[in-house]
Amino acid sequence: MTPENAVMTDVEMVTVVIDGFDVTVPKGTLVIRAAEKLGIQIPRFCDHPLLSPAGACRQCLVDIEINGRAFPKPQASCTIPVENGMIVKTQLTSEVADKAQKGIMELLLINHPLDCPVCDKGGECPLQNQAMSNGRSESRYEGVKRTFEKPVSISSQVLLDRERCVLCARCTRFSEEIAGDPFITLNERGALQQVGIYEKDPFLSYFSGNTVQICPVGALTGASYRFRSRPFDLVSTPSACEHCASGCSMRTDVRRGKTLRRLAGEDAEVNEEWNCDKGRWAFKYISSKERIAGPMVRGEDGELHEASWPQALARAAAGLKGKRAGVLVGGRSTVEDAYAYAKFARVALNTNDIDFRSRLHSDEEAVFLASRGVNFNVSYRDLDKADHVVLVDFEPEDESPIVFLRLYKQVRKRGLKVTTLSPVLSRGSEKLGAAIVEDIASISGLSEKSVIVVGERAAEVIGQFTSVVKLAQSTKAKVAWIPRRAGEVGAVVAGAIGNLLPGGRPVADPAARVDIASVWGVESLPAAHGKATWEILEAAGDGRLDAVVIGGVDPLDISSEALGQLLGASTFVLSLEISHSAITAIADVVLPVAAVSEKSGSFLNWEGRPRFFEKAIADSLTRSDLRILSMLADEMGTPINLPSSQAAAKELQSIGEWDGAKADAPSVSPATLTAPSGDQAILHSWRQLLDLGTLQNGEPNLAGTARAAHVLISANRAKSLGLSNGDLVKVSTARGSITAPAQIGKISDSAIWVPRNSIGSQCIANLGAASGLVVTVVKA
Amino acid sequence: MSYSPEQISIMDSIIARYPRKRSAIMPLLHFVQSISGFVTPEGIEKIAELLELSTAEVTAVSTFYTQYKPEPVGEYHVGICTNTLCAVMGGDAIFDAVSEHLGIANDETTKDGKVSLERIECNAACDYAPVVMVNWEFFDNQTIQSVKDLVDGARTGNPPAPTRGPKTLRTWKENSAVLAGLSDGLAGEGPSAGHASLLGLNLSKEGK
Ligand code: SF4
Ligand code: SF4
Ligand code: FES
Repeated sequence: MTPENAVMTDVEMVTVVIDGFDVTVPKGTLVIRAAEKLGIQIPRFCDHPLLSPAGACRQCLVDIEINGRAFPKPQASCTIPVENGMIVKTQLTSEVADKAQKGIMELLLINHPLDCPVCDKGGECPLQNQAMSNGRSESRYEGVKRTFEKPVSISSQVLLDRERCVLCARCTRFSEEIAGDPFITLNERGALQQVGIYEKDPFLSYFSGNTVQICPVGALTGASYRFRSRPFDLVSTPSACEHCASGCSMRTDVRRGKTLRRLAGEDAEVNEEWNCDKGRWAFKYISSKERIAGPMVRGEDGELHEASWPQALARAAAGLKGKRAGVLVGGRSTVEDAYAYAKFARVALNTNDIDFRSRLHSDEEAVFLASRGVNFNVSYRDLDKADHVVLVDFEPEDESPIVFLRLYKQVRKRGLKVTTLSPVLSRGSEKLGAAIVEDIASISGLSEKSVIVVGERAAEVIGQFTSVVKLAQSTKAKVAWIPRRAGEVGAVVAGAIGNLLPGGRPVADPAARVDIASVWGVESLPAAHGKATWEILEAAGDGRLDAVVIGGVDPLDISSEALGQLLGASTFVLSLEISHSAITAIADVVLPVAAVSEKSGSFLNWEGRPRFFEKAIADSLTRSDLRILSMLADEMGTPINLPSSQAAAKELQSIGEWDGAKADAPSVSPATLTAPSGDQAILHSWRQLLDLGTLQNGEPNLAGTARAAHVLISANRAKSLGLSNGDLVKVSTARGSITAPAQIGKISDSAIWVPRNSIGSQCIANLGAASGLVVTVVKA
Repeated sequence: MSYSPEQISIMDSIIARYPRKRSAIMPLLHFVQSISGFVTPEGIEKIAELLELSTAEVTAVSTFYTQYKPEPVGEYHVGICTNTLCAVMGGDAIFDAVSEHLGIANDETTKDGKVSLERIECNAACDYAPVVMVNWEFFDNQTIQSVKDLVDGARTGNPPAPTRGPKTLRTWKENSAVLAGLSDGLAGEGPSAGHASLLGLNLSKEGK
């Protein structure tokens, strides 16, 4: 018997009669849920299975009797748990219940504007639908309706139309209970009761879009979707989010070839029914003006010119064939595309010089990833059940929002203990009630039920992965690696890194190479340890590489030198990109690739769980990276035979997981940092969820809710600099500076924090580094 | 406006009375009114900060209760009960007459800032209907004339004493401080229960 079953049998079951049918459900089940089990739908507005019961709308009234004693009047079935001996009569069998529901509906509609023809919700509106199924067909109300100004913006992306609100409190409960952002509340009382914000503080929650999705009427609407479409004109495709490794299931709604909105999909194991605002609203990048329309080749005049596919491929093949080339894969490739890059590098370029890490990275990290293998054995469920979660160089609210929601849920429900290894207590950590620890050696209280979550920024701290592995070994705690981008876990599994072949096979292991060579039908695979991203760039700069293939990389995510290194030498650059970028500006050949909504494929989220998606824009003619690489490999005479993502997925699956010995865990001793003195501080930064990331292009409403750049400093430092909140501070290095308002917060006296890539604060471009560096901090 | 260290320390002492900080929200809102006469944005922000609530949460509470005023009220806030019993006993007539007398409508304040008017809901003094409350002190068994005299007195800084409660009528801000839990030492002054309320008790004591 599995443990899950064991739990099931422990639960006390209760049998009740609903509309004459017996139903047996776990004790504590609400009547409305028990009825659902029988397929009986009781109308409702405020009820939501993931929110605490509110009984706010009264639409779900039913007649209930217990052991022969009837309640004197109909009861809200969404707030009453089942009990033995309970007999429930819904609107289907009780005239009283039916009349009560109709009465409530009539009351709800008295002040409702009934402006369905101009309401975004019309056509998919629970109020509209249930008014038809459980209401009167004609209104008897002849008075004057209460009116409000419509709509008011409660943030740059959410609009509120108070006239339409049925005061169900779903939005306010979501904000408080799920997101921990109680910035919208039910204000005023009686007939004037309304949802609202505090006038000066807009609804700045990373999760605000969920309220738009769960509002059972058209009271909350998204600024970007407003008046754009009717639901019945949309073609919906289940999809997956390309933005982060949380792995939200999504739905993409397209009308005539254009994505109009994305909604959170349902997946109880992953995102439940939520997503973050980036996943919901950052999709306009695919229709940006910078989108590359067709292949381009740099001419004699030094400019890029449109070219036909055969011309461009011939030119690319000429630049790569027989050359010493490296491959940089962006962190947002699908598993299938990453696999194609991995295969292309080995088969067509005969090299292991491939790396998906287009960010700060380290060799220690690569060793850690190789030693971990590809069966991670850690999941959201482990977070749910953990006795202690330790966050190492990882900010879930900014870097993996659904992980944040899951942790927050357990923190609220049972006071889950969270510790964060960081000099900063971020807003997210504060919500999690996290204890701050600055030294990994002082973390205690871990057991085999604990999870250590290590983020990609651990690569910026020498020895961090080593310490994490040691801590896990000595405590039996599980380790989860949660990178920020959606494609990174899949890229590891696909072998898009210099020390691993697909399925977690160490490049250094001859048996592993033989394994893969036979699947790929080649004689042998390159054995030399592949270069990391920074080494590839360096080699491109000093002429040790002749060519670089770059798929979806922003050079400023890696280092301030990266672009110069590519530009400096006569390196041949092939860029596979969605939109024009710093890389396409210097590339010799540019090949346009499909965005997620234009292709099918999958990501692996941090658990290693596949997140499949179908092509949402059915008639898109764009080609995915793997299709293009396949054509290019053919052109070079070294085919990789990956005509479709299905073919790639199948081949990768057939390869399977490596069952031989894994690489040893990293063993790097931590560097001793010199304590800064005087005006100096150690720079600390991470990327906020909403920032200057290229995939957020073209969506000003979303950008309007990003957290503004500020310099976080400790109270002591503020005092010694004579600073108060809001005063400008200048953070500088030899390379340049960032000037932003000070925010006095919980941060170690020796550190300062700035956002890594926000307006007015781009660490790599402005300071030349993103963390660990000694910077000078002065009053501006 | 920012609060003085003394004011902050009073707020802290109010918070210290409760096992959970957030429970102090209602007295703190009264305290803010005792300083500014109404719930100011600064007050909301300060309370949010001190109680670790969002400003929206404080707004929700302050807009729910009609005792918290979003706009300044008069030094003497006159509430005339117009719920059923008081209304039929003369409350409606009093309201109309006084409103006309002062030239202000419901929820308005006289230009000199002395008197504001509000239709109030039942104040649990039906046995003295029609009832008027000024700064939450009872004026029982009122008439049109008595309330006109009351407001005229208030405007000249010389209001009559309440029927029950302290011997002199305190101002809106002074009484807000009392509602915030800061004693003015007058709790024992004047009668608290009147004849009508005690009638039944007295009859039963007499064995009737
Ligand atoms: S805005 Fe929508 S979700 Fe919020 S209370 Fe009103 S009807 Fe409910
Ligand atoms: S949490 Fe991550 S996966 Fe989910 S919607 Fe946001 S960016 Fe996408
Ligand atoms: S659904 Fe039951 S009261 Fe709203």
